[in-house]
Amino acid sequence: MNKLRLKFSKNGPIKFIGHLDVMRYFQKAIRRADIDIKYSEGFSPHQVLSFAQPLSVGATSDGEYLDMTVNSMVSTQDIMYRLNSVMNEGIKILAITELKEGEDKAMTLSYAARYCLQLRKSADFPDWTYKMEEYLKGDHLPAMKKTKSGEKEIDMKQMLFDYTFDHENSSVDMLLSMSSKETLKPALLFEYFYKSLDKEFDTKFLDIHRIDIYKSGEDQKGTYIEPFITDDINKRIYLNG
Amino acid sequence: MNENLALSDETLLSIEKPERYIGNEVNCVMKDKEKVDIRFAFCFPDVYEIGMSHLGIQILYGMFNSYEDVWCERVYSPWMDMDAVMRSQNIPLFALESQDKVKDFDFLGFTLQYEMCYTNILQILDLSGIPFKTADRTWEDPIVIGGGPCTYNPEPIADFFDIFYIGEGETRYRELFDLYKKAKNDGISRQDFLHMVAKIPGMYVPSLYDVKYKEDGTILSMDPVYPDVPRTVYKEMCLDLSKEFYPTKPVVPYIKVTQDRVVLEIMRGCIRGCRFCQAGQLYKPLREKDVDYLKKISLESLKNTGYEEISLSSLSSSDYSKLPELLDFLIESCNEKKINISLPSLRIDAFSLDVMSKVQDVKKSSLTFAPEAGTQRMRDVINKGLTEEDILRGSEQAFLGGWNKVKLYFMLGLPGETDDDILGIGDIANKIAVRYFETVPKEKRNGRTIDIVASTSFFVPKPFTPFQWARMNTKEEFLDKANKTRKGIMAQLNQKHIKYNWHEADASMMEGIFARGDRKLNDVILKAYQKGCIFDAWSEYFDFGKWMETFEECGIDPFFYTTRERADDEIFPWDILNCGVTKEFLLREWKNSIKGTPSTNCRKGCLGCGAASYGVGVCKEGKINE
Repeated sequence: MNKLRLKFSKNGPIKFIGHLDVMRYFQKAIRRADIDIKYSEGFSPHQVLSFAQPLSVGATSDGEYLDMTVNSMVSTQDIMYRLNSVMNEGIKILAITELKEGEDKAMTLSYAARYCLQLRKSADFPDWTYKMEEYLKGDHLPAMKKTKSGEKEIDMKQMLFDYTFDHENSSVDMLLSMSSKETLKPALLFEYFYKSLDKEFDTKFLDIHRIDIYKSGEDQKGTYIEPFITDDINKRIYLNG
Repeated sequence: MNENLALSDETLLSIEKPERYIGNEVNCVMKDKEKVDIRFAFCFPDVYEIGMSHLGIQILYGMFNSYEDVWCERVYSPWMDMDAVMRSQNIPLFALESQDKVKDFDFLGFTLQYEMCYTNILQILDLSGIPFKTADRTWEDPIVIGGGPCTYNPEPIADFFDIFYIGEGETRYRELFDLYKKAKNDGISRQDFLHMVAKIPGMYVPSLYDVKYKEDGTILSMDPVYPDVPRTVYKEMCLDLSKEFYPTKPVVPYIKVTQDRVVLEIMRGCIRGCRFCQAGQLYKPLREKDVDYLKKISLESLKNTGYEEISLSSLSSSDYSKLPELLDFLIESCNEKKINISLPSLRIDAFSLDVMSKVQDVKKSSLTFAPEAGTQRMRDVINKGLTEEDILRGSEQAFLGGWNKVKLYFMLGLPGETDDDILGIGDIANKIAVRYFETVPKEKRNGRTIDIVASTSFFVPKPFTPFQWARMNTKEEFLDKANKTRKGIMAQLNQKHIKYNWHEADASMMEGIFARGDRKLNDVILKAYQKGCIFDAWSEYFDFGKWMETFEECGIDPFFYTTRERADDEIFPWDILNCGVTKEFLLREWKNSIKGTPSTNCRKGCLGCGAASYGVGVCKEGKINE
């Protein structure tokens, strides 16, 4: 039995497929690819798939993660090849790693997500990057976040690990907190940015592209975060300095 | 991947289920439009989830796309939220694959599966910018063609179609496409093209027939306007289904649809001859598919789609002669791949119970019986060869096997129905409950008990059935009968274990009007659509009041089509078509039904319905002596 973590991209019209349907899509693709996947026990056995984090409808991504268990396999390369040969063009498996015994699920490990964010033409807000850069300079970025039990006040600044504006292309690259403890959705940040300008925000304005999802780890230099699947130690980002 | 969607991201994010409009599903077919001669937009005029569940489109979609010169794409009815956006922003209706305008296609095909979709046809034409009526169309518009069961009386929608294809689609489309290419090449007029089409077998071009009426509103005559146009259009039929195209790479939707599984059609036609059933007559004679062919098809389809379920499809699967062999094969090959098998329309007997216990969770699944009527007398009238003893014996075996849920289906408003027949519904439900308590002793019930659901629908007489002469009940009669059924059930000893459901009567009345309607209804349907009637098959949108208002404005009495008694020799609007069974046979069966005489089934004896002229299927088999 092997536990695997798959990295995949989701681009093109498939971005309108919701999270549960992406799950159903994968279950069918795994059957088409004839992968010896492990099924749950019981009268109606099903494939056990576990996604790192759902992606909102309309968003594209180059870094989604999915954990699955197979009874047997030739190699991770073989699985990648089989899956990609039955995939729709919009979804592509980019990498597969085998997990160590007892390693936590991607969902539990995820710590942050990197996005490339843009405003669609319908927002009609050409110089927004300059304005937002100003807004983000505040020491605190308070917001009310809806929770299961109501609303609570959060400081978005604490959840914003890193950002770089590209004024020329009117986009921003942002690394935002995304863990089981706290998640900052790009839309919430934009909503409060708009509020700071006394403008009405519509989630349809925001064009979201997820670049990757990060897990956290520790080494002699301190606590770092890095993409789930990476060979490049230089991609580690150290928190708190 | 087609990245150029017809709708903007903002639009798609502002409507329900954007997946309905983006195409790009697994197995959908993309072609280079510059390299094909014919572009065919195939429409199921209802919402995506319903339309994507239909086998017929998948068959023809696959077949058309197997032709190098044809690109077939799909179109479904935009849901009400999308409809509003398209109208307000002037977005023309598009096909899913190319996302190109439907108006620019060569053909727009509709599959007509139920009468209540008629206003949705007009929605599709309207949003596409195609004139409603065939008379107003030019070569700038696609050829509008209809197929499916409703084309066996297409008269209420005859004005909206250029062609109706009568019968099974596999046989004549190639000929039609070739004629179309030639006509375009030769630069002949659209009218002349349709005239030529009318000479292809199975093609009914309604504009080439002149209908005259008597003073009482019934039909006097229906004559072709040209001498070389056939007086009668005969249905098209596949002679050997194992040699026809079958889609083993059906399009797999992203979102959950009604029929979300591999559909394996095992045969066409039915030997049973229930007198209310239209499908039973239309698809005669019964033709089975070769079992080895089905095994191969099922494995290929599962492999190509990745579906986790396969369903056998036919009008009465128990009548498939190689059913045990097929099921053994499926159970074995599906088990290792954890694939579920669903078995609708099985007769409940020892064999089917054994199979069901292998493929279903007995505790969760329920047994389904369709006695259709409450007394043996009435079951003889409708020729439903299912006796009370069959039902009770089947139930008993099932109870012993661990089942305890039973579903029963009945019809109200059948010809010659009496109070006894209606009260018989409660009676039979009660007897099943009694049989449960007798069969399963208290200590073996494990806290469970019998759970019966009885449902009734209102009977709608259909063309090409022995009941095409029958009077349909009024809404008041229907509701009175539903009430009597309910009281009859409440009076039973075991009424606590019986739940009763019944259908809306208004929708049944509309279905009855359209089912046996004539050309005078075209104006009513158009006017009702213009007044806002749409998605009539959906109770949340169906507006009966608006329909009745429209009938009044058009000066048409809706009861002419429903409650009127029809004379034996009345010319029906659908008499222009021939579905393989003769009117004499249907009339004979109608008379037998009035006498309460049942008829045999096609395996036991030939009733001389006329379908033997095809010389295939059950008509060629030897008969089993009773």
